[in-house]
Amino acid sequence: MRALIAAATGLVLALAAVLTITATGTPAGGTSPKPLLTTVPSHP
Amino acid sequence: MRRKASLVLLACAVFCAALSPLMRWYAFPRLARIPANQYQDMVLEARGATLLDYGTMRAKKVSQVTVVQTLRGDVDAAKRIGKTAGRPVVVWDGLSYVQGPDGKMVSKVPERYIFDAHSQDPVHATGEMVDGDPVTRHGIEFKWPFLTQKRDYEYFDAQTRTTSPIHYKGTRTFRGLKVYFFEQTIPWTKVPMPKSMPVQGITPESVARTGTTRWYSTVRRFWVEPVTGAPVYGEELHQEELRGGTLLGGRARVTAFAGDVKMREDYIEHTVALVEHNRTLVLMLTSYVPWGSLTAGLLLLALSLCLEARARRPRGPAPAKATDPEPVSA
Repeated sequence: MRALIAAATGLVLALAAVLTITATGTPAGGTSPKPLLTTVPSHP
Repeated sequence: MRRKASLVLLACAVFCAALSPLMRWYAFPRLARIPANQYQDMVLEARGATLLDYGTMRAKKVSQVTVVQTLRGDVDAAKRIGKTAGRPVVVWDGLSYVQGPDGKMVSKVPERYIFDAHSQDPVHATGEMVDGDPVTRHGIEFKWPFLTQKRDYEYFDAQTRTTSPIHYKGTRTFRGLKVYFFEQTIPWTKVPMPKSMPVQGITPESVARTGTTRWYSTVRRFWVEPVTGAPVYGEELHQEELRGGTLLGGRARVTAFAGDVKMREDYIEHTVALVEHNRTLVLMLTSYVPWGSLTAGLLLLALSLCLEARARRPRGPAPAKATDPEPVSA
């Protein structure tokens, strides 16, 4: 029974960790104010 | 004490073992995405190209033609379309600006490309276009999906507004990176005149009235880093002709542009460095963390079972009970 509880705890923690990471995700940010280029940039 | 430790180790083992598939199959598709706000520019050059002189309507050799490609993510449009589509979406506004050796504009073609942020599948919404013409893309454009496979893909050609296969031609090494080489050939196809012409007063409509048509053919090559799906190098054997009509003064055809368009060296270096960095991040989600945590999980499980077995084992033989001497009777 104790082993079962320990395994379930590990599983729940793994799920919580992954859900937290994915919920945080990547920030969308805003559209870049830089223009679409009509001149040749000197460097990247 | 040992039993408590083995239970803690068991919990850690399950944590690590569960983390492995969760990271690969749940977190990876949700975290490995093209950022909606990406801004990227690229410079390609065609040295010793042939370009049409619109003054004389004759083709001439020029030292260099430069193509500046910019991609800018429209975040608000991505959010709006993503809500309707029910999945994360990226909206790229792109501009291909072609400049002659004198710095003057040869052509500029804007486009709007909408696609799934993870799978790269095209998403169709109002506003999807090439040079102002509404299009419905199939296949990919600019970038391959994460974990690119060794197979042919459907690739959208903006000039013809059509999709055709881009063939996998083998695995190569480019600047120390393992890459997949893809090639697509677009046969001579009649294509629309660009909306922005290099000479003032000439419009696509005025050219159309002369009966002259524009034809295009290209061989497109990409060296794609398979983990990120990002091309680290690309080149195009690009050819354009004007054919027929009164504009050519009786000639059947005249070259409008011909050249081998290649990425500029500093942009190659920049792209390779960027892709190497992003490759590590993607590998963290697809390989390093899943395999690492699975290995750690198995080790911890073994350790936990070992401790549990030792805790259950009796601790040596019990001391023998001293037997009372039997009474001796005389």
